[in-house]
Amino acid sequence: MKFTLTMSGADLLLLLPEILLTTWLCVVLAVDFVWPQLRKDRLAYLSVGGLAVVLVTLFWFDLAGISGTLFKHMFVVDRLAIFFKILIVGTTLLVILASMDYVRRFRFFRGEYYFLVLMSALGMMFMSSANDLLSVFITVEFSTFGFYVLVAYLRQDLASNEAGLKFFILGIFAAGLLAYGISLVYGETGKIVFSDIASASATPGLVIGFLLIFAALGFKIGAVPFHAWIPDTYHGAPTPITAFLSIAPKVAAFAILLRMLFVSLATFKPAWVVLLVAVSILSMTYGNIVAIAQRNIKRLLAYSGIAQIGNVLIGLAAGTKMGSDAMLFYLLTYLFANLGAFAVVIAVGNVIRSDEIEDYSGLNRRSPFLAFAMLVFLLSLAGVPPLAGFIGKIYIFLAAIDEGLYTLIVVGLINVVIALYYYLVIVKKMYINEPVDPSPLRISGPMTAVVYVGLAGTIILGIYPRPFIDWVVGATLMFSNLVGPTASVLPPTVLPFGG
Amino acid sequence: MVPLSYYVILSAVVFITGVVGVLIRRNIIIILLSIELMLNATNINFVAFSHYFQNIAGQVFVFFALTVAASEVAVGLAIIIALYRSKSTINVDEFQLLKW
Repeated sequence: MKFTLTMSGADLLLLLPEILLTTWLCVVLAVDFVWPQLRKDRLAYLSVGGLAVVLVTLFWFDLAGISGTLFKHMFVVDRLAIFFKILIVGTTLLVILASMDYVRRFRFFRGEYYFLVLMSALGMMFMSSANDLLSVFITVEFSTFGFYVLVAYLRQDLASNEAGLKFFILGIFAAGLLAYGISLVYGETGKIVFSDIASASATPGLVIGFLLIFAALGFKIGAVPFHAWIPDTYHGAPTPITAFLSIAPKVAAFAILLRMLFVSLATFKPAWVVLLVAVSILSMTYGNIVAIAQRNIKRLLAYSGIAQIGNVLIGLAAGTKMGSDAMLFYLLTYLFANLGAFAVVIAVGNVIRSDEIEDYSGLNRRSPFLAFAMLVFLLSLAGVPPLAGFIGKIYIFLAAIDEGLYTLIVVGLINVVIALYYYLVIVKKMYINEPVDPSPLRISGPMTAVVYVGLAGTIILGIYPRPFIDWVVGATLMFSNLVGPTASVLPPTVLPFGG
Repeated sequence: MVPLSYYVILSAVVFITGVVGVLIRRNIIIILLSIELMLNATNINFVAFSHYFQNIAGQVFVFFALTVAASEVAVGLAIIIALYRSKSTINVDEFQLLKW
């Protein structure tokens, strides 16, 4: 039982983006500490600068094709991990820009806010690189700790505290399930690296262990039936954190799910396809139906987010190379549209101090730009051509058709219609109803920038998706050996739970 | 020599006690304690399996699990204190401001 650790300079290079971000978040904390008079806007720009450097490094990694594993295969750098890291760092950058006005509402600890956001981003970057069960556990917890604090950040606001508590209790409960599941898998196989587990046979311990792990990851992505924390947490949390929470941790959790299902459990594909199809149908239907009844825009976006996750799961359920491509592309379109929609909610909420859908009446009179942006984002989320969401949905449905998952596609198409209905209700309020207070809304420079980035992403991905499709196809090359057998060819003994 | 299955049964019992505690108790501190039980059940499993396989990875995991549990309590108690200051109760049923 001897443990040796040898590292060279080339090994450290693989960690460069994480090292840069770690250094930078220490700098941000130190600057806030030694220079308390500094305006917090400056701190935000400092954080954004650091994230931009990390983003450039990641793009360089992607172009140069740098890859490898570290720490006995705990940490992997490949194009898939880099793709997810780019998504996470990009989201963080936009969220920090979008929170600059909101931060004035905090009475205490305005500087630490940026530190905590950066720290969560660092945790999620490690999540995208997790390649064994130990790093899954540590990175999932590491990224969530920052969020527990951030959700409860409005100290004097009871709703924020309550949201923090609910998120915390369900979050650590999921951590307990995750840890126990990992211990069972370790007990059955004696291995923790994903690729080593692949040779395992289906024993009761392994099945229960993986079910517990998937339950915990289901909490992270907020799929039905593990969605209980989503509406309350989204509602009570500071709006920029809601935006962050609705994208980044889910993206990172999908990185883990993708590796776990496609690498460790490739042989049990028929079993997990059944599970994923069920979860996907439940998430889409439940999210969309409950969203219709919502009066608060944050809650509505929470439920529509649950439904969107159901859509992403279709790609995962297809279980092929094309399915994973479609999933990555869908996450990209979801990032722009959802972040953009939340940016509009933040901008409006900063002025009118309300998130009720009723208060969006006549938004077109008060700010034609915000109303138009919201229209584009909602239509993209619904999947209307020629916006990004349309290409995303088509891509994911095509991947499912190839695998013969027709039930899933029918349910998905019905849900597109339901979603369009409640998105259009908001559009009607914004464009047709009369505003109570017709004074124009003022929005700040950084906020406008975020909305423009969202608009640009949503429209470009919709009308010229080619380079982005090439990018996601390149990112999942490691799965190109996956040509799944269809369910009818399989012997009945492997159904339903790999047992 | 105690057989491996005894440890696994012990940890399963501790884990289920924890899960049931989270589900039925209404005091947040007790819920936190129950979650600690769940994590410690994991630790029993890991140490037992690690010894059985003569493989160090399980024991390494235990150290990380302990660290995670400690930081969880730190964050969790801070949130609970903030809530207690504004509501003077730590019964989860009292927190129902946010609803459907």
